[in-house]
Amino acid sequence: MAKELFFIIIGSVFVNNFVFSRFLGNCPFLGVSNKTETAIGMGMATTFVLTMTAVAAYFLQNYVLAPYGLEPFLQIVSFILVIASLVQLVEMVILKVSPALYNAFGIYLPLITTNCIVMGVALLIPMYNYNLIKSIALGLGAGLGFTLALALMSGIREEMEFHDVPEALKGPAIVFITAGLLSMIFLGFTGLVPLG
Amino acid sequence: MQLIKDFINGVWNENPIFRMVIGICSALAVTTAASNGIAMGLALTFVLTCSSILVSILRNVIPSTVRIPCYIIVVATFTTVVDLFMKAYFPALYEVMGIFIPLIVVNCIVLARAEAFASKVGVARATADALGMGLGYTWAITLISIIREIMGSGTLFGYHIMGDGFVPWIIAILPPGAFIVMGILVGIMNMIARKTVKDTECH
Amino acid sequence: MNQYARMIIVLVIISMASGAVLALSYAVTNPTIQEQARQKLEQSVLVVIPGATRMEEIQKEDMTIYVGLDDEGNKKGIAFKTVGSGFNGSIEIMVGYNPKEGKLLGIEILSMSETPGLGARIQEEAFKGQFKGKSVEDEFVAKQDVEAISGATISSTAVASAIKTSLDKVVEIFPVGGDY
Repeated sequence: MAKELFFIIIGSVFVNNFVFSRFLGNCPFLGVSNKTETAIGMGMATTFVLTMTAVAAYFLQNYVLAPYGLEPFLQIVSFILVIASLVQLVEMVILKVSPALYNAFGIYLPLITTNCIVMGVALLIPMYNYNLIKSIALGLGAGLGFTLALALMSGIREEMEFHDVPEALKGPAIVFITAGLLSMIFLGFTGLVPLG
Repeated sequence: MQLIKDFINGVWNENPIFRMVIGICSALAVTTAASNGIAMGLALTFVLTCSSILVSILRNVIPSTVRIPCYIIVVATFTTVVDLFMKAYFPALYEVMGIFIPLIVVNCIVLARAEAFASKVGVARATADALGMGLGYTWAITLISIIREIMGSGTLFGYHIMGDGFVPWIIAILPPGAFIVMGILVGIMNMIARKTVKDTECH
Repeated sequence: MNQYARMIIVLVIISMASGAVLALSYAVTNPTIQEQARQKLEQSVLVVIPGATRMEEIQKEDMTIYVGLDDEGNKKGIAFKTVGSGFNGSIEIMVGYNPKEGKLLGIEILSMSETPGLGARIQEEAFKGQFKGKSVEDEFVAKQDVEAISGATISSTAVASAIKTSLDKVVEIFPVGGDY
């Protein structure tokens, strides 16, 4: 069991990195990856939401949707509402606990709701039929992989500030090309861990 | 006319993929074949247009405090409808798209247009904007798909067009290819936009 | 109070409308979806059991077996699903088998997400075809008695071992040479 969990986490961080292989979490990846502190902060907040979403998705799927046959048509609506509520909850908690952190996040915190990675993980859990522990592992792995991707990209972007980027490529274009190169590197991890 | 302007805006000036750079996840993931690009574009346009119209109709009814949950319910409902109808009537396409059909619900384009535009204007303008954005998205990802399919499989819409001697660049249909093709296209669009701006400035 | 009442009323109405639309869509599309799934399954069973024109589903010891029958009702073979861990995810395979002779009738790849041009070539006839007539006594090891696709050893191995594992189970249920 522990081996499977380990593989799920390593798989999500390296082999099937959610940003570089699965194409989830790309919007904030472009938006927040220019400064390393914001990047890591966003990564951590998203990991937190992801892990809680994984748990919520598991219970929602197995105790509410499946037993009553509601899955095919209520899954999307219920999942996204749960995610929106969780993010709202996290917002309120952070505001209470550390207003400074809340201000540092700014609008990026509510934006986690529309981060495809959260909904993506929620949808993968019924698809792979994971039990509770595996679901948590997936959420954790996805978040860590996302944070890694952000950290890598922000480090590179901070360095690129000092170099000459062709005019037309400045901004999103060069970020995409860099992401492509990083994606190629991560492609080298395939086969590291048995999947499926 | 204002409506034409709203429509063209989504197709070109504020093209969601190449200029605003939002709604990327699906643009990168499903664009391995030209037919996928078109299918995804149509699905998104449907959800976007229906959601924008409904949000616009209800804009004076929904209290501002609960507008986000309401928008979410509206978008999620239309997304589920597309999901079910695709599964029933286009199963082959549906299997290729995987989780990206349900992911339309968190596609930044849909919620962003609902919040920033549809909730503030009348139905006619909201429709024009939605159709424009949808078309802009569709042609953008179809272009990406065509490039990736030709380079990566040697085919176009399933028809072999590259001849027998062509060895496909498989990287084009793997994840890195998506990012790189996207980056180059955004760069090209930037160059084009810069040129047209410069021209008008000179006159 | 008026403000709260309005919020709640709007939310409730929108939720109910949404629920109604969704339930309706589901009612309309579900029969078609089920029918498609059934057709797809039957298609894959008939492909791997040559000569079969219809199938019957039976449950034996937590395995679902599909019996292929021809027009006269003669049994032409059985089929079963198996899943392997491929390079990029799971590979679903439908295996056709003749228990009387202890030989495979053929395989069909139901779903996979292997690398195009490499692992995805397990769908090609050149790879699948080698399993026709293969004896249940064989080892099913890639590069030994199973020809692997060059550059896609993991995908090839996944298919071979998945077939072997499920075959072992099936042989326990339907001993070779016996009736089924």
